[in-house]
Amino acid sequence: MFKNYLKIALRNLWKNKIFSAINIIGLSLGKAVCIIIILFVQYEKNFDSIHTKNIYRLDEVQSWEGMVEPQDVALSMPPMGPSLKNDFPQVKNYTRFFPLEMTGLAYNDKKVFLKTVLCTDPTFFELFDFKLLKGDKKTVLTQPNSVVLTEESAIKLFGTEDPMGKSLSSHNRMDTLHFTVTGIMENVPENSHLQFNGLYNLNSIFKHGQDKEWGSNYMVTYLELSKDANAKLLESRFPAFLQKYMGKDITKGYKLFLQPLNKIHSTSANITHDYYNYKKFDETYTNIFFVIALIVLVIACVNFINLSTARAARRSKEVGIKKAIGVSRHQLVFQFLGESVFLSFIAMALAIILVNVFLPFANNLSSYHLTFFFFGNPILLLLLVSGTILVGVISGLYPAFYLSSFKSVKVLKGITSKGKNKSFGRNALIIGQFASATFLIIATIFVVQQLSFIRKKDTGFNKDHVLIISGAYKNYQKLKNALEESPLIKGVTGSSQRLGNNFHQGGVNFKGSGSVKNCASSFVFIDNDFISLYQMKIVAGKDFTEQGNGKEYMVNESLAKELLKDEPKKSYESLIGKRFWENEEDTLSTLVGVVKDFNFNSLHNKIETLCLVNNKKNGFHDVSVKIDGTKTKEAIEFIGTTYKTIIPNFPFEYQFLDEHFEQLYEADKKVSKVVTTLAMIAIIIACLGLLGLASYSAENRVKEIGIRKVLGASVSNIVSLLSKDFLKLVLLANIISWPIAWYVLNAWLQNYAYRIDMSGWVFVLAGLTSLLIAIIAISSQTFKAAIINPVKNLRTE
Amino acid sequence: MSVINITDLEKIYRTEEVETVALNKISFEIKEGEFVAIMGPSGCGKSTLLNILGLLDDLDGGSFKFNDVEVSGFNERKRADMRKHNIGFVFQSFNLIDELTVFENVELPLIYTGIATAERKKMVDEVLDKIQIAHRRNHYPQQLSGGQQQRVAVARAVVNKPKLILADEPTGNLDSRNGNDVMQLLTDLNEQGTTIIMVTHSEHDSRYTHRVINMLDGQIVTQNIKV
Repeated sequence: MFKNYLKIALRNLWKNKIFSAINIIGLSLGKAVCIIIILFVQYEKNFDSIHTKNIYRLDEVQSWEGMVEPQDVALSMPPMGPSLKNDFPQVKNYTRFFPLEMTGLAYNDKKVFLKTVLCTDPTFFELFDFKLLKGDKKTVLTQPNSVVLTEESAIKLFGTEDPMGKSLSSHNRMDTLHFTVTGIMENVPENSHLQFNGLYNLNSIFKHGQDKEWGSNYMVTYLELSKDANAKLLESRFPAFLQKYMGKDITKGYKLFLQPLNKIHSTSANITHDYYNYKKFDETYTNIFFVIALIVLVIACVNFINLSTARAARRSKEVGIKKAIGVSRHQLVFQFLGESVFLSFIAMALAIILVNVFLPFANNLSSYHLTFFFFGNPILLLLLVSGTILVGVISGLYPAFYLSSFKSVKVLKGITSKGKNKSFGRNALIIGQFASATFLIIATIFVVQQLSFIRKKDTGFNKDHVLIISGAYKNYQKLKNALEESPLIKGVTGSSQRLGNNFHQGGVNFKGSGSVKNCASSFVFIDNDFISLYQMKIVAGKDFTEQGNGKEYMVNESLAKELLKDEPKKSYESLIGKRFWENEEDTLSTLVGVVKDFNFNSLHNKIETLCLVNNKKNGFHDVSVKIDGTKTKEAIEFIGTTYKTIIPNFPFEYQFLDEHFEQLYEADKKVSKVVTTLAMIAIIIACLGLLGLASYSAENRVKEIGIRKVLGASVSNIVSLLSKDFLKLVLLANIISWPIAWYVLNAWLQNYAYRIDMSGWVFVLAGLTSLLIAIIAISSQTFKAAIINPVKNLRTE
Repeated sequence: MSVINITDLEKIYRTEEVETVALNKISFEIKEGEFVAIMGPSGCGKSTLLNILGLLDDLDGGSFKFNDVEVSGFNERKRADMRKHNIGFVFQSFNLIDELTVFENVELPLIYTGIATAERKKMVDEVLDKIQIAHRRNHYPQQLSGGQQQRVAVARAVVNKPKLILADEPTGNLDSRNGNDVMQLLTDLNEQGTTIIMVTHSEHDSRYTHRVINMLDGQIVTQNIKV
């Protein structure tokens, strides 16, 4: 019996090549999309899955007076971990770290640079399940000056030698220390939000008393809670905890919250100063991708349903005969379901090929390293098999019941109902398909528009041809002088942080005509020519001077407004020359200027209050070099050689500032690429379906077309006759999708502090696009039917 | 023993406004081994009657005994089962499945009665030999003439060795030579013991039968038994 089913199924597939091709191509495209998205979802959901303890990261919310918006920050203060463990029994353990960047390690004559070393508590391996290859996880970091290296770092420095117990010297930009290797760990897996090359014992780095300093937040703290602990309950007791150690006022602008370890990767989109969160990606987008992939698959399933029922008349004779022979209806349903499951498996085979072909492309698109190896991925294998059957059953169910419902008496007499009401369901499905496809087109246009908007928006400074070199510090002035000698260099300046980052916050004080005003603000230390190199606008007062080093301050307009809050009538000019300071009152420090607001952070955020400090006492972390844009290559070479002569101990690394800004929108770009691709695939599949339906509709009406042509209808009359019904559906689909698209995209745009207006032409454009594509698909078929000689049509009937 | 025994059989077609009585209290009996023709003008109800006799359609009143079993209350499943084992159909328009070869078309009823492959092959070959179309066993219906197609259809109807064959104008789409071949085939089958009921317009064809039931407006007018 199965052989008979298979035979009929295969021969039907072969006989109706267009139908089969549309279904198989559509389904396999839909499935390939789903597989890739499932791989992506798996990758995302597996972040930090190697750890087994009940771990939370301690984060803070700052909402001090003077701040434009509250900020969630991934940092915390050094004594918080120990005090929390001490005060709350449900906090079983804690571990903290702060990072060292670009640390040089030397062993004998060999020297290597490690990108990230974490200075951490000895409890690190008690909380995290990173695997230690050598050393005991309880004691590995307990000794002062102990270091754990990853396998990769160890091989770099020691080659084949056993590193255990060896001494090495470590020097970062500030100082030199001596360490002993006490452990080797496996390389940090790709799916860990924490990425590092080595671990130092924290106490070797901490200066005396630093461990007890409440008030400065530069640590990352993780807590292990007991299995039955209620994190929400614990959070509710944090305000009292803070007040106990930091005084009553602390809770006015400061809160703590907990973030479960397995959510750090996926729920930190709005958390700033989150520098150790590798490839963080918001789970909302992961879910959106999954939903869109499902929509694409459903569109493909709808093609199957529509085409199967549309051409049901072709199978009616078979149904009639089989029923006459005595085949029961459930056997027929089973046969047709079997056929669609069979087709679904063919499509899956093709989808697997497609995935293998397109996965490198998808990886390239998303900068992920997804791998497709389903025998090593039992969940995926199970999903594929059950998904294939499910898709087959879902798309086959309606056609199966529809086909098997034919009355054999009627079909064997050649009566098949072609009533219009029969196609109602089919029409609804077409509308659904095209509404989804149009929705995706609209979404694509807005997403692309918004992202190009934030990339092109005037940020208030000129970042063209600016190179950033990190870590000059005390060599800053020497480097600057050397660089400025060349005509290739248009200017050199320094800052404590680079533009495009969320600057650190602190308290600032202002003494105007009234009492001292104290508020929170972002602040950045800069060289006196920073403002002019970046061509920022000064709206009141004057620029920094060389002589003013250590004494001059500038504020941005937002902070100026904040300072003038109580005296709104006064101009910015009234602030100039007044006393202004950060930590300790200094009678000499003054506010010299107000700079026009500029976007120092990503455009997801509003412009915060900002204070700029003319101060180069320690040199600068980031050197901005403006180069001759026509001679980029020579300029970079020149900077490289100059750097090496002045700072020979550290490797020369640079980044163009606009690349750094591009990185800020990495996740957005990923989203826009994925949505665009999925939208295109969706519309292709939907059009394939329409093409198939138009072709069958033309075939079914072949006699009518013949008669009309005999009676004088032109080709264009016929084409419009046949196309009209479909185009109405596409139009209706548009009308349905517009408000939904408006609602969803409006909500998405709220993620951006700076956003485009949603203009109506996008909807019209998307509508016209879907209509045009549909017209091309339909008329290709109807035109074919319309130009056939009517005599031929009428004779064959 | 009677194959079919109907009493006061009624069939009424209802639309929203009109009620049409297709069969009006018909009674007759058909005995095992009979070859009966049902005749009458278009619309007299003969095809409706044939569909009911073939358990393809419901009746609205009266009694219908098939093989002495009352089948009027049977649901679709039971009817399908009854058809499967007892009735073979021959249609005017042949109704062969285009996607299947001659052999596979004839084999179809055997598949659904669950006969083993080897046995099926033997039975199909046998019947194809008998109707002298074995040389065409791997051809598709489109590659055959009308007469050949109808012979294949007859082969399919009899391969299961049913008690009863229902033929609905089996020669209607054939020329006289091919028509005669098919009628001869049916006569041979009848002589081997199969009961046959045939709806026809053709006086010529009716001469092959034992008895003619004449119908008009849903009623039986005459039942001639030929000697």
